[in-house]
Amino acid sequence: MAIKRGVSLYSYQQEEWFGRWTWRDQLREVALNLDGADGIEIISEATIPQYPYPSEAFIDEFNTEMARWGLQATTLDAFPDPLQFRRDHVMNDAEMAERLKIDLRLAKKLGMKNIRVLGNTIDSVKLALPLAEELDITISQEIHFPSPIKRDPNSQRYNKIMDILEYIEKTGTKHYGFQPDFGVFRTAPSDVYLGYYFRMAGYEEYAEHVKAVMEAFKCMSYEDLVEWAKKTYPKVFNGGWADGELRPASAAPEELKLIAPYIYCVHGKFFHMMEMPDRPGEYEDLAVDSEGAIRVLKEIGYEGYIDSEYEGQRSQQDRGEAYLASEIEEVRRHQKMLKRLIEEA
Amino acid sequence: MYDSFLVRKGSLRNFKEDGKVAGFCFGVRIANYRGVFLSLHNGYYVEVDGESYPVALQRFGVNGKPPRSFEELKNNAVYEHWDMQDEATLYIMKEGGLTPGVHRVGILESILCSYGRMPRDEEIVKNPPVPTPNVHGQGGGGSKTTDVSYFDLELQE
Amino acid sequence: MIKRSVSLYSYQQNEFFGWMDWKAQLREIALNLDGADGVEIINETTIPNYPCPPEAWIYEWRSELARWGLQAVTMDTFLDTLQFRDHVMTYREAGERIRYDLELAHKMGFRNMRLCHHTPYQAVEMNLDLAAKYDIIMTNECDVRSLDLGHMMGDSIESEIAFIERTKTKHYGLQIDMSQFQNKPCCIQLRYRFRTAGFSPERAAEAAEDIFQTFEKIGREATNEYIKEKYPEIAGGPFPALHMHANPIGRMYEIIPYLVHMHGKFYEMTEVPGKPGLYEDRALPYEEVFKHLKKSGYNGYISSEFEGQRSQQDMGLEGLIDEVDQVRKHQQMMKRFIEDKHNNTPF
Repeated sequence: MAIKRGVSLYSYQQEEWFGRWTWRDQLREVALNLDGADGIEIISEATIPQYPYPSEAFIDEFNTEMARWGLQATTLDAFPDPLQFRRDHVMNDAEMAERLKIDLRLAKKLGMKNIRVLGNTIDSVKLALPLAEELDITISQEIHFPSPIKRDPNSQRYNKIMDILEYIEKTGTKHYGFQPDFGVFRTAPSDVYLGYYFRMAGYEEYAEHVKAVMEAFKCMSYEDLVEWAKKTYPKVFNGGWADGELRPASAAPEELKLIAPYIYCVHGKFFHMMEMPDRPGEYEDLAVDSEGAIRVLKEIGYEGYIDSEYEGQRSQQDRGEAYLASEIEEVRRHQKMLKRLIEEA
Repeated sequence: MYDSFLVRKGSLRNFKEDGKVAGFCFGVRIANYRGVFLSLHNGYYVEVDGESYPVALQRFGVNGKPPRSFEELKNNAVYEHWDMQDEATLYIMKEGGLTPGVHRVGILESILCSYGRMPRDEEIVKNPPVPTPNVHGQGGGGSKTTDVSYFDLELQE
Repeated sequence: MIKRSVSLYSYQQNEFFGWMDWKAQLREIALNLDGADGVEIINETTIPNYPCPPEAWIYEWRSELARWGLQAVTMDTFLDTLQFRDHVMTYREAGERIRYDLELAHKMGFRNMRLCHHTPYQAVEMNLDLAAKYDIIMTNECDVRSLDLGHMMGDSIESEIAFIERTKTKHYGLQIDMSQFQNKPCCIQLRYRFRTAGFSPERAAEAAEDIFQTFEKIGREATNEYIKEKYPEIAGGPFPALHMHANPIGRMYEIIPYLVHMHGKFYEMTEVPGKPGLYEDRALPYEEVFKHLKKSGYNGYISSEFEGQRSQQDMGLEGLIDEVDQVRKHQQMMKRFIEDKHNNTPF
């Protein structure tokens, strides 16, 4: 057994939004053009029509299409939205559990083996665990940038991942675990995001500046980098979202070993696939240490799915259709990279 | 996100109530990769030709129902979903509507969806933020789109 | 420990007039009843579009319970055997109706489901597997209209127990209603009866109180004679003026092993004489029943089930009784008896 490849339909969100590709087209793409990838992950509130109450016809059609292409349902990504009841209160843990139970039942109907949670409180997940056990669906806490994995002994900061790990080891539950996102292993700011922030700050030409920031990231400490960037590009790095691009990796691939037995799915996050300078026809993402992460996953004997999760499209939607990214091409390149890294010794 | 696509070109028109032009409207899409329960929708920062129109003047037409105020959505659309793929219509109450010709429309969506409980949530329940431009991370506007998007739209018949 | 719940039956008048919807009722239970945390409903009252509520409503129901930390204790169901007017409902059809209610009870998170009296065993048995799958206990209720504790469903306690023993089911049991133990006149009902016989409200109140006091002095049989002589206006009719079961409380032990739930039926909470701020229903021997319940080790729920409102709906809006206030007083009384340390050793 080896690591398996899948795709989160999150990657095709732009095709979905414009109505150019339905989920059926997306499944066909995964089945026919990705050289052996067969996993499908979906976003509850993107793929499921009339969420959270889809018609029986949709459930049937989804399962039939999956069967047609021989695809495996890996993960349903769910959201808690604590302000749903903002007319008079913030959602409490028990209410959050009820929302999660709705998603668990949906996941079951769609054949999913795993459900991804992110901001759900640990107490709310505990309340939903009996249903997860009954349905035999794992609940995975996503480890998303800027979340750390290991506990920093020098920091007082709350570490949710290690708290969950303690709970899992104490109770022995087989239905609560983790879904690491490769975005935590970042190696550089994303060039497409930097481009967007430069455009928002009024720059028309910025390719050199993007390169300069990426170079500075490699050779400066975080503190120096922030100081330099704010001084050099005050309109870009002004306390808004752009500043986040300067932050270093929040975890190292080696830390995956801490949670090894409880990884139920993995997000192969990426932003921009580029041809490797020395290997024509092969691709890499300069912002993410996919190689290091897959090396460790192989070491620990991980045999689940890595689902491509493309997130570069969002930063290229400010200039009309001509500039939109090709999600289809990006995912194909990413899958090619995943296959190479998984199969390489 | 979807900055230059959030308002549909060719959708700007005046609308009537009781035989009189009561305002104008246009088609909008969600600035997100997913849909949301409508109670989370906090309205828009809207400006047309430099004049802004507060949430109190806005009505939202979605799911085949008559236009509703955002207060109404907050209180009574708690279990009703705005699907990601669906275009909605944003109505702005303005007696006489807009004049013929091209208008510069700027919008910034304020949807209070999130990935988990945030420290400001209790405060937001009591005092929902007013959708305003340039409030990065302040809860005032912007879902996945953080800046006002502008569109030059010709008023349709 | 006996747990306290409220049947939304108690708020039926508020529901009827649209003054409190089910969400307001749950909020009342959660915030104002000092630790009551159980909810019982009437399916055809609380559930919109029964028997097919929208999925969104189910989610809303579960979310509201979650918000307030309430438990869905019992769903009360009915079996309208004349639903199909070209024939009387067959056993199979009755089984289907119960199955539908079980599905609903499961979706709404209930742990018990009360069946209607007279539900045939055939229809119950068809659903034992489903009830087991959902871990819902179906219950039969002994209520005021069952002739006697020993004649539920036209059957006997023996046949109930025989059914449970034969099927070895853990998902069928009994529930008992406090009205089974009513042993004194119910003044609020007597006042209504006098008013409908032409008495003014003031005279009705005096006459009802007179009957109650007379009963206290000379007992049931003599009071019946007294009523025939003094108040012939109310002595006739289908129900005797002194309508009560007065079952011996000790008979409860016959069904304790099968007791799943209790209905705390009550008609009118009044201040205990000489004890300001404490309340009782003079018609019902709650204190005594709680002694036995506690002795038996019963640790299920007892639901407030207020039924006095219908006795005051002949006098316009001003004459209506306040259900919310009545339930609060009833819950206060139950809490008092549950927690009373001196109320543990009967006899």
